[in-house]
Amino acid sequence: MNFPFLTLITFIPLLGAVVVALMPGKHERALKLVAVLFSVPSLVLALIAWLLSAQAAGEMQLLEEAVWIPTLNAYYRVGVDGISLPLVFLTTLLTTLSLFYSAYTIKKRVKEFFALFLLLETGMIGVFVALDLILFYIFWEVGLVPMFLLIGIWGQPQDRPQYSAIKFFLYTLVGSVAMLLAFIAIYLTTGTWNILQIPSLKPLAGNPALAIAAFWAIFLAFAIKVPSWPFHTWLPDAHTAAPTAGSVVLAGVLLKLGGYGMIRILLPFFPDLFRQFAPWIGVLALISMIYGALVSMAQWDLKRLIAYSSVSHMGFFMLGLVAAAASLDVANPVLNSRAIALNGAVLQMFNHGIITGGLFFLVGVIYERTHTRDLKAFGGLSAKMPVYYGVMLMTALASLGLPGLAGFISEFMVFRGAFALIPTYAIIGIVAIVLGAAYILWKIIQHVFLGEFSEERWQKIFNPAHWHFSLDMARFEVITMAPLLFFMVLVGVYPAPVLNGINAATTALLAGL
Amino acid sequence: MEFIFNLTPLIPLFPLLAFAIIVLFTHRHNRLSSSIAIGGIALSTALGWTLVLATILSGEHAWAEGWQLRVPWLPAGTTVLELGFAVDGFTAAMLFMVPFVCLMIFIYSQGYMKLGQPDQDPRYARFFAYISLFAAGMLGLVVARDLVLLFISWEVMGLCSYLLIGFWSFRKADSEHHIDAAQVVRARQAALKAFITTRIGDVLLFSGIALLYSYTGTLTFRELFRPETLETLQAISLLGMPAVTVIALLVFGGAVGKSAQFPLHVWLPDAMEGPTPVSALIHAATMVAAGVYLVARTLPLFIAGFVVADAPALHWVAVIGAITALLGATVGLAQDDIKRVLAYSTISQLGYMMMGLGLGSLVAGIFHLLTHAFFKALLFLSAGSVIHGVEHGAHIAAHNGHGHGEHFSPNDMKIMGGLRHRMPRTFVAYLAGALALVGIVPFAGFWSKDEILAEAFHLWRADGTLNLPFWVWLAGTLGAFFTALYMGRQLGLVFWGEPRHAAARHAHESPSSMTVPLIVLALFALLFGFVNAPFLGNPLHHLMGNVHEVSEVVHAEAIPFNPTVAGISTVLAVAGLLLGWSLYRNYRAGQVEPFQAALGPVFTVLRNKYYIDDLYQWAIIRPAVWLANFCFNIDDRWIIDPFVDLVGAAGRAASDIARVLDSGVIDRWFVEGTAQLFNAAGRWLRYSETGHVQNYLLVVAVTILLLLGLYLYF
Amino acid sequence: MAIPLPWWLTVAAALFAIGLYGVLSRRNAIGVLLGIELMLNAANINLVAFWRYITPQALTGQVFAIFVIGIAAAEAAAGLAIIISAYRRRRTVVVDELDTMRW
Repeated sequence: MNFPFLTLITFIPLLGAVVVALMPGKHERALKLVAVLFSVPSLVLALIAWLLSAQAAGEMQLLEEAVWIPTLNAYYRVGVDGISLPLVFLTTLLTTLSLFYSAYTIKKRVKEFFALFLLLETGMIGVFVALDLILFYIFWEVGLVPMFLLIGIWGQPQDRPQYSAIKFFLYTLVGSVAMLLAFIAIYLTTGTWNILQIPSLKPLAGNPALAIAAFWAIFLAFAIKVPSWPFHTWLPDAHTAAPTAGSVVLAGVLLKLGGYGMIRILLPFFPDLFRQFAPWIGVLALISMIYGALVSMAQWDLKRLIAYSSVSHMGFFMLGLVAAAASLDVANPVLNSRAIALNGAVLQMFNHGIITGGLFFLVGVIYERTHTRDLKAFGGLSAKMPVYYGVMLMTALASLGLPGLAGFISEFMVFRGAFALIPTYAIIGIVAIVLGAAYILWKIIQHVFLGEFSEERWQKIFNPAHWHFSLDMARFEVITMAPLLFFMVLVGVYPAPVLNGINAATTALLAGL
Repeated sequence: MEFIFNLTPLIPLFPLLAFAIIVLFTHRHNRLSSSIAIGGIALSTALGWTLVLATILSGEHAWAEGWQLRVPWLPAGTTVLELGFAVDGFTAAMLFMVPFVCLMIFIYSQGYMKLGQPDQDPRYARFFAYISLFAAGMLGLVVARDLVLLFISWEVMGLCSYLLIGFWSFRKADSEHHIDAAQVVRARQAALKAFITTRIGDVLLFSGIALLYSYTGTLTFRELFRPETLETLQAISLLGMPAVTVIALLVFGGAVGKSAQFPLHVWLPDAMEGPTPVSALIHAATMVAAGVYLVARTLPLFIAGFVVADAPALHWVAVIGAITALLGATVGLAQDDIKRVLAYSTISQLGYMMMGLGLGSLVAGIFHLLTHAFFKALLFLSAGSVIHGVEHGAHIAAHNGHGHGEHFSPNDMKIMGGLRHRMPRTFVAYLAGALALVGIVPFAGFWSKDEILAEAFHLWRADGTLNLPFWVWLAGTLGAFFTALYMGRQLGLVFWGEPRHAAARHAHESPSSMTVPLIVLALFALLFGFVNAPFLGNPLHHLMGNVHEVSEVVHAEAIPFNPTVAGISTVLAVAGLLLGWSLYRNYRAGQVEPFQAALGPVFTVLRNKYYIDDLYQWAIIRPAVWLANFCFNIDDRWIIDPFVDLVGAAGRAASDIARVLDSGVIDRWFVEGTAQLFNAAGRWLRYSETGHVQNYLLVVAVTILLLLGLYLYF
Repeated sequence: MAIPLPWWLTVAAALFAIGLYGVLSRRNAIGVLLGIELMLNAANINLVAFWRYITPQALTGQVFAIFVIGIAAAEAAAGLAIIISAYRRRRTVVVDELDTMRW
């Protein structure tokens, strides 16, 4: 029996949740400390697992298997490869940072918040490591409830948190019910829940109509989570209403569950159907990219703007995936285009997690001070908060795909694949890059940081009595952002270490289709 | 020798390190920060010039083949995309100019940003950090072996350009008198405009790079230009053209954005809102020339599959270059801002470079790039010195109580006049730059502009019909006349006549940290043309003429000196210069401009820049903003979200109906009826509920005994 | 094989009856708990006796007995905890006075 990396990574946070829940609620400092400490082992183990497995990440690593519910034929079966490892690491990193950040900013119902957050982490990691459909589904749902509560209870009162939370919940639930039905249909024809085994058994091959229904049912679940246009409207509400740490994890990790599902389940289970429907899904991707960018441009609420930009950026991911899928019948596509497109898609998920997670932290920075996110209320802040300006500028530039920072690498690979495989889509999609520069520089940088600083306007929104840290980014905020900035630069300047594992896994995945 | 070449990556690394050190550690110490920046670029200059020398000494083979170094960078399926550095004759030519001009401008900036003076710029250190990062980008571009590193450097420069144009887009301290609220707004608009406009070009370049990589699997210049690779690219058809032509046009699109060619030139004049050293460095000498460099580097793509005279991609380059050259030169006639005149001049000169490349002559285009970098940097720095002097004059005037109190712009040529006596060193430098720009023998601009025009003339005569080279030559020659005309006007307005404002009356010479670089650059503006003078045997041709040898499509032979061409353009230049100067040297405040009087409505059109900005405002920006709001309304108010909410409302309505049904029928009769029955029963039975555990247990025990008894009995 | 099976069963039945009596009659809650213990142990005697005399080859009876002992321990702990908690709130352990379940 090898060292049970994945079980520990997944369940230590759960243990932490239990411990936090059992602790007396009076000792807030101790609670916060315990919660943060319980998230650290997962982070360390995930990093070790990633470093250990990066070389041969083409196949499933660190497999663990045990009989779980014999009557259902369900197994406890977990494993990771180069696609899931970065995402597991991303989850643990963002959770630890979120908990650390929340330790300074969450004031009400501290105990419940931290317990739920740790529970959420278990759910999210579980989805990335599960290799059994039942297990996958259960983890999928486990993440839902804590997030619902995080938005509903700790959301900003003016953003209709209850409405947003219920919208988020119902949207996701509709998707997951459809997905569960499809899973059962697949099980009935293949007799196994094993995600690795099902592709070779050609699920539902004998029943094309049912196969199509199952495909779209699963697609719906994942497309809602990604989210793809037109299933995206839960996202701006949920992201906006959620507390900072909630938005970070929502954008940084929860959206990736959908993307990961598409790559791990939808594509290998139904490669032919995916190829057949790729033109349509590609259209959805394009609409998401351009439409998301345009709507971002129309926002005056900083957080909502970033939320919509997620729609746009996850559209890039979908485009890469579609490029890889659309060409599955081409025996030998030009020069690894498929692998490059899929690499780009996976890396785009990782990068989006790092960058947009960072952006939401940064929105939190200004919101905690001023309790407003109205772009018209700011202006000239770069003179007042130079460090904040620098960090925000860097993150925003990474988001718009400036070469040398992370976003560019994945965009480049997505478009490199798309230009070779689905050139028409690529040409249309390229518009989104220009729009990306427009909304990020015009709306965020210009309206918040540049222009004339008005002391009078600032007095209206900033009350020093309510803010106990330094006016410019406080130390805990800098510490929160530092690892994210590090990864933006690392991936942007020298992507090979991160990409080696992804590349091995996508190449193996594509070879198996 | 190899050892020296292996140090190449250090050239961009020195300024990059300087940037990192300033940002992370020393940004509170102004003098230290600028010293670090200057030290970084000085090291790069030293190493760069060593490399130039080493290349020249390595002989012809090294000029064409060059040296390279590569690093695996991006795993892609079964292959790995590499990134690397290379030095050949072309790189050497650029390496001579770029770090040196950077160094001069860095030194000058110390004075311009008022180091150690009471009104020193409060973000002095940050300024040096930005320009160091910029220098790293430009140097990285020059030593790039492939399009990956080139594109990364390209965008880093774009970022620095954005940051530096917007450098005065916010005020830090109240001491920043020279920045008023309007300036703040203008600066941030200009920065955004520059970034977005060039971004359009960048996206085209990005597409071109993605396509190239898709079809060939490599982005290294030398590998791309192998005959077999080019043949593959010609064989693929894309949009009804050979793919290589499409790609070349996309790459050119990037150059159009960066090098401010028509129709994406609109950002460059506005970019003058940045500090003047920035205008000199980024928006005249180096970054805007990067587009020209890119086209020159990828010239085989433009020609592949055709002979030079028939290559469609190349024709586009020539035509756009010619249009831009004329457009810039004519608009320059009608501007009042000293820097804007120079900006339009830059646009126009970049058009000349493109013309040269569009005729298939790598060396002509790049030669003009190099000379232009020196004399235009000189002109901008001198203009900066003038502005600096006028600002200073305004201070003195205000102090003496002569201030008019009203607002004025220190860039406005209409308020200047007679400055040649007050700022003699600056005047000499400015004159040298102007003569070089106009193309007077033996200044640098003469040789390089002449080579482009001679090339066009030669191609026209070789064919004999009114072909493209003829029109290019005509546009170039006309442009030369207009260039001379606006420079004559500028010299007359700024340096001759009487001061038209108290600020100009009190202006005086700038500190030596500013004038010394001016003198050095003036020497280069005078002498640099000889590096490719025909009577010296065109040395530059030998150094870089064969870099595209590998492609077998670009052959560069020097065109012999043509007295006709040189004669025509010199006569026109002198005429233009004298005409402009004589009309404007006695210009008085409030007088109708001589050009306006002569040209009438045409002058208005020129003054409004052919209304291109207004056209973009109406045709592109407003529709885009409208569309954004439209999409948002679809999302939030009109369709998608209302639909989602409608589904929710429908669900609630359905549940309401069910509720009525439930409570009215089912509940009343079945549920409640049953409940009432049990309620009555419960009322009696509850007396058995004593609440005492032992009573219950007794009941249990007795019941069990009874059941047991029954069981046994039966 | 000296003692026949019915003897064991008699003892167990007697023990059970004593326990039941205790549960039903003691007023002190702790006494009630003790009664429950007696009843459980009566069942244990039965289980072991049946195992020994009827199915000596299978271990079921013994395993069951051990189970019961384990559960008895847990039950005692939980029961005592409840009693202590009730005492804290109501200041009494007399079962007649603990009648919150009354209607």
